[in-house]
Amino acid sequence: MKISEADVEYVAKLANLEVAPGEKKELAEQLSRIVEFVDQLNKLDVSAIEPTAQVVTSVKHAIRDDRVSPRTGSSDAGKTVKLFKVPKVITER
Amino acid sequence: MNLRNITADKLVALYRNRDLTATEVIQGVFEEIERTDKDVRAFITLMRDRALEDARRVDAKIQAGETLEPLAGVPVAIKDNMAVRDVLTTCGSRILENYISPYTATAVERLRSAGAIVVGKTNMDEFAMGSSTENSGFFVTRNPHDLTRVPGGSSGGSAASVAAGMALVALGSDTGGSIRTPASFCGVVGVKPTYGRVSRYGLVAFASSLDQIGPLSKTVHEAAQILEVICGFDHYDSTSADTPVDEIVKGLDQPVKQIRIGVPKEYFVDGMDAEVKAKIQAAIRLYESLGCKIEEISLPHTEYAVATYYLIATAEASSNLARYDGVRYGLRQAANGGLQDMYRQTRMAGFGKEVKRRILLGTYALSSGYYDAYYLKALKVRTLVLRDFQKAFERVDVILTPTAPTVAFKIGEKTDDPLSMYLSDIFTITCNLAGLPGISVPCGKNSEGLPVGLQLIANHFQEGPLLQVAHQFEKAGGFLL
Repeated sequence: MKISEADVEYVAKLANLEVAPGEKKELAEQLSRIVEFVDQLNKLDVSAIEPTAQVVTSVKHAIRDDRVSPRTGSSDAGKTVKLFKVPKVITER
Repeated sequence: MNLRNITADKLVALYRNRDLTATEVIQGVFEEIERTDKDVRAFITLMRDRALEDARRVDAKIQAGETLEPLAGVPVAIKDNMAVRDVLTTCGSRILENYISPYTATAVERLRSAGAIVVGKTNMDEFAMGSSTENSGFFVTRNPHDLTRVPGGSSGGSAASVAAGMALVALGSDTGGSIRTPASFCGVVGVKPTYGRVSRYGLVAFASSLDQIGPLSKTVHEAAQILEVICGFDHYDSTSADTPVDEIVKGLDQPVKQIRIGVPKEYFVDGMDAEVKAKIQAAIRLYESLGCKIEEISLPHTEYAVATYYLIATAEASSNLARYDGVRYGLRQAANGGLQDMYRQTRMAGFGKEVKRRILLGTYALSSGYYDAYYLKALKVRTLVLRDFQKAFERVDVILTPTAPTVAFKIGEKTDDPLSMYLSDIFTITCNLAGLPGISVPCGKNSEGLPVGLQLIANHFQEGPLLQVAHQFEKAGGFLL
C-alpha cells in the first residue's frame, strides 16, 4: 500500500507529532517502502490463528498488593518534599 | 588501566589477596576512558565521583577483612535507558536530555547490591531504535576494532565500552537484537534472557512485550555471573516471571556431549557474507568435535519475522512514547497554541528522525481501518513464529545461527535506507518475538580483522544450558576460530 503525504499528515496528527513540510515527501516514500515490505504478511492465511500479544509464562500477578514497602534506590522525594509545583499546562483557546 | 585482559572473578580475587585496591582500579578505569573514549565515544555520562566513593567503600571492607560480594569492585557500564538515581537517563534522546532519574532500575540495583561499581551510562540509538548507534540524539559511537565502522546497536556504547576495556561488563537491553548485534560487531559476549527473566522496572520502555535487559562481557563465565545477580522475580514489574533462577555458573563446566544442536536452514540465506558463513560452519564443526549432535531443522516462518517485528515493535512504541509530551519529562517546547500545540512542538523538537518514523508507522498500524490488517495480523504471525520454535525444541536442545548476516558495517552505510538497516536484525528478532533466551558469542574474525558473531538460542528459561553450550565453545577455542 502506498502512503501519501496526506496520510503522513493524518497519522502525525493522531500521534501528536508535528512534521515539517519539507519532511513529508521523504517520510511518505520511506513509510510506503516499509508498508510494502510488511504487506508480505498477506501471503499467510492466519484466519484460524490466535494472536500472541505477550509471551509470558508463570506470571504471579499483574498487580501487586497495595502495601507500602521500602526499596533501596528509590526517591526520597515523597518524604522530603511537601508539594510539587508544576507549570500551567491548560490554556484558554 | 585497561580491562581487556582481566575478568571479573580474577579482579575480585586480586582484591581479596590485597594485590590491588578498588580505588586504584576505578582511577585507572577513568584514565583509560580519558585516553580511549575520545575516539570510541561509548559514554554519555561518566559517574567518576560516585564510582570512587563506591570504591573506597569496597576498600574499607577489604581492610576490615569482611567478606566481599561476588562482584565487589567490578566496574560496570549501564546503557542510558536504565535509571540510576540522581543521574541523567537520556535514552539517547534530546527529549530526555536533562532528565534525572529519581530512582534506580532493579537490574542496576541488584548489580550494585552485589558490589559492582557503575562507572557511567552508555550511548545508544535513541529509545533503542536502531542497529548501529548512529541514531543517538547526541553522537555516533565507533567500533573499537575499526573506528570507521559502527559498533552495532542499539546497545552500541555498552558493547564498545567492554570491547575497548573501559568497563569490565555492561548492561544492555534487547528488543530485536540490541544486545546481540553489538556484541557480535564488537567481538564480545551478549545475552538476551527469556522475556520476564530480568525485571524491566526502571528500563525506559520501547516495546514492552519484547524488551529485556541482559549482560555484555568478554567471557561467558562473566555473563553467567551477571545473570545470576540480575535475574529473578520483582514485584515492581508486572510481567516479571516468578520462575526460580537456576545456578548458571555451576553448570558451565558440564560437557556438551550428546547435546542436540539444531541448525535452521532458513538462517543461511542468499546474500549472507561468505566469510561469516564460513566461520559459522567452522563453529558447527567444532561442536561436532565436542560430541554434539547437529541436526538440520526448519523454522518456516522466519522470512516473516522482520515484517512482524516492525509492526509490533512500532505499535507498542507509538503507545509507550506518547508519555513524552513535555508535561512530565525532560524537554518542553514553548508554544502559543495551547496544550495540544505544546505537545506537538515538544515532540517535534525532541524526537529524532527514526523515532518519528517509527511512531508514525506504529500509529498507522494501530489506526482505525488498519488495526486488523497490520497490528492484529502481526500478532497472529507472531504465534506462528513461536510455534516454529516450540516444534523445533521438541527435537533439539539449542539452536545455532549467525548473529548477523554481516560484520560491522561502515558508519553512514545504511543511514539513508531504514529498511536495509531493519534487515540487519533478521537473525535476532525471532528470539524477541518468541520470548526466548539468546546469546551471541565471538567466533573468530574475518580477513579484515572484524569480529563475527555466533548466536545460540534455547527454550524459555533455559539460560543455564544455553550458557553451558556457549562456555564449552569458548573453552574449546571457538572465540578464536
